[in-house]
Amino acid sequence: MAPVLALEPLTNAVLGLAGAVVLLAGILLIQRTFAFFGNSRVARREPILTRVVYDALQSSPVSAEPLARLNRSDRKLIRSILLELALDLRGDTGEAISQLYVQLGFAQKDIARLKSRWATTRANAAADLGLIHIPDATPMLLSALDDSDVRVRQAAVWAIGQIGTQETLRGVVRLLGDRNLVVAHRAQEVLAERGREVAQAIVAYAETTASRAGRLAAIQLIGWLRLTTAADLLLGYTSDLDPEIRIKSVKAAAAIGDPNFLDAFHLRLEDPAWQVRCQAAKGLSLFGSSDSVPRLRKALRDRHWWVRLYAATALAEVGPAGEEALSAALQDEDAAVRDMARYLLERGDMVPALP
Amino acid sequence: VSALQAVLAWYSGFVLIFFFAINSYYLVLTVAGFCRTLRVFNEVRRPDQRRLLRSPLTPPVSVLAPAFNEEANVVENVRSLLMLDYPLFEVILVNDGSTDCTLGRLVDAFDLRRSARSFEHSLRCKPIRGIYESPSYPNLVVVDKANGGKADALNAGLNLSLYPIFCAIDADSILEPDALLRLVRPFVDAPGVTIAAGGVVRVANGCDIHGGRVHAVRLPRRALPLIQIVEYLRAFLFGRMGWSTGNSLLVISGAFGLFEKKAAVLAGGYATDSVGEDMELVVRMHRYRRERRQPYRIGFVPDPICWTEAPESFRVLRRQRTRWQRGLIDTLLRHRAMIGRPRYGTVGMVSLPGFLVFEMLSPLVELTGYLLLPVLWASGLLSPSLAGTFFVLAILYMVLVSALAILLEDVAFRRYPSVKDLGRLLVAALLENFGFRQLTVWWRVRAFAEYLRGDLSWGAMEHRGIVRAA
Repeated sequence: MAPVLALEPLTNAVLGLAGAVVLLAGILLIQRTFAFFGNSRVARREPILTRVVYDALQSSPVSAEPLARLNRSDRKLIRSILLELALDLRGDTGEAISQLYVQLGFAQKDIARLKSRWATTRANAAADLGLIHIPDATPMLLSALDDSDVRVRQAAVWAIGQIGTQETLRGVVRLLGDRNLVVAHRAQEVLAERGREVAQAIVAYAETTASRAGRLAAIQLIGWLRLTTAADLLLGYTSDLDPEIRIKSVKAAAAIGDPNFLDAFHLRLEDPAWQVRCQAAKGLSLFGSSDSVPRLRKALRDRHWWVRLYAATALAEVGPAGEEALSAALQDEDAAVRDMARYLLERGDMVPALP
Repeated sequence: VSALQAVLAWYSGFVLIFFFAINSYYLVLTVAGFCRTLRVFNEVRRPDQRRLLRSPLTPPVSVLAPAFNEEANVVENVRSLLMLDYPLFEVILVNDGSTDCTLGRLVDAFDLRRSARSFEHSLRCKPIRGIYESPSYPNLVVVDKANGGKADALNAGLNLSLYPIFCAIDADSILEPDALLRLVRPFVDAPGVTIAAGGVVRVANGCDIHGGRVHAVRLPRRALPLIQIVEYLRAFLFGRMGWSTGNSLLVISGAFGLFEKKAAVLAGGYATDSVGEDMELVVRMHRYRRERRQPYRIGFVPDPICWTEAPESFRVLRRQRTRWQRGLIDTLLRHRAMIGRPRYGTVGMVSLPGFLVFEMLSPLVELTGYLLLPVLWASGLLSPSLAGTFFVLAILYMVLVSALAILLEDVAFRRYPSVKDLGRLLVAALLENFGFRQLTVWWRVRAFAEYLRGDLSWGAMEHRGIVRAA
């Protein structure tokens, strides 16, 4: 019977693998050596260059003159120092960083990188331009909003959020309904920060968009930004057929806390969707109206635990009438109701932050 | 006799092919995991990604930490959890019927008072004896319950949790301060779609730890935990990263994972009759979503880090490895209907068959391979020189995969800064093949017998106390 293995191919394989292992060890060593020299250089040059950058930033007007004749690796280091500083510094110093960045030609290069064939490079360039606040880059960033790569669109949205004017921010509003969730959420984040500048556009978008996801995001934004101008729109949406729209609009209304919502909240305590009932109870906790007590007492017997929690929390907020209702609930025949009432009475305002 | 020899020859060929296949499988996973790691790292470094602390979309998180007889470190660990950098979170420590002073230590340290806290009974769990809250730490809840195992404790914690995302961790592990913030990124980018995400678990033995923080990363002196570091890099870091590429990740470590609460509860919560409850839950979540054709994503994030203590004795290591293998067998058998079914996408067609062949059955093939060598030798089918060459080849292939994982770790993370450390890791990658690997193979084979006997025990982890007070 012939042996199951032949020696020669095995020996060749052993040699091949041994070579590969040695090669890997070699690569490891080489990459460590390079990293060592690179890091030593950075450790040596960074403090010196940081001092030069600080001097340049403090000069008036900002001048890149002392940094103009640096070699390539020093320029690279200067660029990373400026980007790091821009992360933490705003105001006048932020403007000075931006001017220095432009004078040193980095901004132009970043704008050029926005046309790179590599998506990673385009995304990095967009984010850097946003970080440094280069208004000249706005038209290119607006074009990048339609980039085929999601990372580029994401970074461009953020960058516009950093430097955009009212006009450009309006361009971001339409992205609330972007086909890619990640981009849509980034747009929502940006508008959560600067949305007040384009409040009308957000409200109009919530009213007119055909995109359900976009409408939901806009309603959520209305709540975060507490846009009282959208009160009528929200009132309409609180009785929408789509339960998601009702949930988001009642939540937004609860965040705004307009007294006009009181009746709507009372009505929504009977909503078929438990999340809507929760948010309605949460909304009622803001007004402290004794008119709400009977309805909240009823909600305290809701079959859903979360509605009971929100209703009990709202009763605790209402004042003496609410506390009285909670005390009465201690005698309730339903143990779940008793437990909830006892918890709220014992903890008072120590209830943890609710979602 | 010739028929027997033919069978032997056939089986030897099978073992040989299997050997190349399994090592190539690890090689491909490692490379795929590395490519994905680099891509993620590139994104994370962008300035627009450093926004999570301020984002209104960052969801509040309930951190669930089951503890059983953890009196030595529990206070320090809870303090470390309370110091996490995260906008809104609560820590729910579940004392799973400890017989030591775990609860007493917590009550004293955090001024805990019995609370009438009401909670949602979404999942079944053993009776809760008491709930404790603290006026000084409003985001800390301690649940004291009858002993029911880790899965039961996590279900109790889930019932008590208030927030839409929960993080399951081991009470004896240490999270890096920004670990939660890094791990939540997929949930912020795609809320409602991302239902689970796993973070990296690294070996803390040898590190300089005080005040519930890892201050300096060092390698352990002992060979056993050192070898496990190489193993963790290969299998738990790049392996899992590789699997997450096609949304087919099956394991999120019980020591550090983030889940959407609604998705976990809908899938039925943690299985209390399984010792591999972490893997089982993930597979069940895949199954639930795939059967209903609901879009979802289960990811792995390479930069959030959880430090854990690796076993330093063979006895504890044996318990751990047999438990892991029993959990794997149990999960694969429970969900055998998914294997090879196109309905379950990449999970049914790629990862489950991969786990079945290369993780569950591989110790059986490897052991028979070892047993076959003397038989082949005696029957003249294998000469000593051939056997020796094959042995060297087998070792070299495994060293190659481990060395690649070490190299990739160095490129992507560089957690072990000195060249000496790298050298020690490479030596550990070699040493692993002389005794350690054979032992783990034997333990994993024994796990089949334990599983058939219905052994559901966890076995206690003996801590040497890596997490010391400041």
